[in-house]
Amino acid sequence: MNENIKTASYDALVIGGGIAGGETALNLANNGFKVLLVEKDLSIGGKMILLSKVFPSLDCAACITTPKVSEISRHPLITIFTASEIVRIIRGPNGAFKANLVKKPRFVIVEDCTGCQLCEEACPVSVPDQYQMGLVGRKAAYIPFSIASPRVAAIDIENCTLCGACERACPTKCIDFTQEPVEYAIDIKTVIIATGFNLFDPIKIPRYGYGRFKNVVTSMQMERLLAPTRPFPTILRPGDGKMPDKLAYVLCTGSRDASVGNPICSQICCMYSIKQAQLLMGALPMADVTIYYINIRSFGKGFEEFYEQAKGMGINFIKGKIGEISENPKGNLVLRYEDINEGIVKESEHDMVVLSVGILPNQEASGLFQKKELTLDLYKFVDQPDILVSPSLTSIEGVFVAGTAAGPMDIPDSILSAGAASSEAIGYLNRIQ
Amino acid sequence: MDMEIEKGKTVKYLKEKRKVSPAVIEDLKKFTKIKKGILDALKEEDLTIDQLSQKLALPHHETLYYLMSLIKYGFVQIGKMDDMDEFFSYKIKK
Ligand SMILES: Cc1cc2nc3c(=O)[nH]c(=O)nc-3n(C[C@H](O)[C@H](O)[C@H](O)COP(=O)(O)OP(=O)(O)OC[C@H]3O[C@@H](n4cnc5c(N)ncnc54)[C@H](O)[C@@H]3O)c2cc1C
Ligand code: SF4
Ligand code: SF4
Repeated sequence: MNENIKTASYDALVIGGGIAGGETALNLANNGFKVLLVEKDLSIGGKMILLSKVFPSLDCAACITTPKVSEISRHPLITIFTASEIVRIIRGPNGAFKANLVKKPRFVIVEDCTGCQLCEEACPVSVPDQYQMGLVGRKAAYIPFSIASPRVAAIDIENCTLCGACERACPTKCIDFTQEPVEYAIDIKTVIIATGFNLFDPIKIPRYGYGRFKNVVTSMQMERLLAPTRPFPTILRPGDGKMPDKLAYVLCTGSRDASVGNPICSQICCMYSIKQAQLLMGALPMADVTIYYINIRSFGKGFEEFYEQAKGMGINFIKGKIGEISENPKGNLVLRYEDINEGIVKESEHDMVVLSVGILPNQEASGLFQKKELTLDLYKFVDQPDILVSPSLTSIEGVFVAGTAAGPMDIPDSILSAGAASSEAIGYLNRIQ
Repeated sequence: MDMEIEKGKTVKYLKEKRKVSPAVIEDLKKFTKIKKGILDALKEEDLTIDQLSQKLALPHHETLYYLMSLIKYGFVQIGKMDDMDEFFSYKIKK
């Protein structure tokens, strides 16, 4: 074996540090198992850590995520690798697994960084901030976001000019441009896949104008605009900085639409749109918000009441199918739609449009396993061969699935799914020991 | 690496191995120029996105993007709202 490859052993490998992976890791560790949590991003927390508030309770997302993330990162039995990728996982003859992974260089010594942000201030480069969905810039030396875990800097080497200003500014001398990728070969007994979901890219529906019309945004961009750590000082439309007062939501963008290859319901878009509409009414009391929907699916606990509450607040609901969106010279958007109840085509003008983009499968995990295939379902989520009895089982014995890696679901269901996956994994570990 | 690494001065080691792409240099030049343009214009008076966009000959959405970045980096702050309650003006952060 290459002697540069580092080795270690854990009871469980959790792939993906979103709420599902984090919760799974905590449950396993609280039961005395040693866990390696591997996250490909610079921070754990997944999509949830970037949300504004959560339906239907309207609790602040950061207030729930921050203590959870800190519990995960401080747990003595959990080791977290961020900015890391699994290369392959092979099952050995004894039934245990060997995982090869690579920890990418962050170019910052994590233990020594105080998060003072002096490197950010010194860095001359500005590129679109991926954690603010491209609405604002960030530096090449940067802390991903204020509640990131770990809250330490990283160097975006692809956009770095190698000017050295960050290094000169750093009081602890923790920036280290000599860092190289580190390879690991890890022994584990069980694997939990919690790789989450991808968002539908509305560029794929050109008639909605996303990308061309700057006042058409995605729901994830609106989450950021509504969050306390938002990209703008207040809610403004990205086309020209106008404070919007007539907003529209287009539900089912990229969901229940076989023409874009995703015939299924994303299960969360109705509710997160109703949530955002309520938050907008709070932030912009004079605003008029209209939700264009095909059906409202308010199936969860408290969801129907949440929908009724939105109607009571004056949010308009139109059962309408959007044909096309065009832009007028004022930068306003004209929505041409079929009013489903009346059966006629109508037009209406709005000054900002939010596309409620759907959940797509993240298929990355399927390529990781060698010798035995990790089967995907019809819609390319991780297959659950025994969904009614043991929903976290996969096609490989000893490999379990948690959260949206298995299909669209909201946060409470992702946490429940993590509970199921961790108890199945604990049962498995107890059986094989 | 054989030689002792000088902590706090490590960029020189990477400079020997890695070339910075011309696109990165171009983006930096563009940002520096727009940043100077916005800050010079705001030194004279408070301006709206529309006014700044005309002065800099930049599309409105780009002006907004750069201005919001300069707010984030601590150079600019939000000013007054116009009489129609539609657009803010922006000013230098003192
Ligand atoms: C706009 C919007 C608003 C929402 N609002 C709400 C709400 O109000 N209430 C609610 O209950 N739900 C809401 N949701 C849904 C919520 O975001 C999801 O239910 C939740 O994030 C699912 O968590 P997860 O851990 O399964 O997936 P994710 O959050 O996607 O986390 C997966 C993690 O795995 C990592 N990963 C992926 N692939 C790999 C790999 N190969 N190796 C290592 N790591 C990997 C990712 O980087 C990520 O950190 C909203 C979603 C959206 C899009
Ligand atoms: S070396 Fe790179 S990251 Fe550091 S200040 Fe210069 S451009 Fe920014
Ligand atoms: S890398 Fe240095 S300058 Fe940057 S946040 Fe960390 S300690 Fe501060």
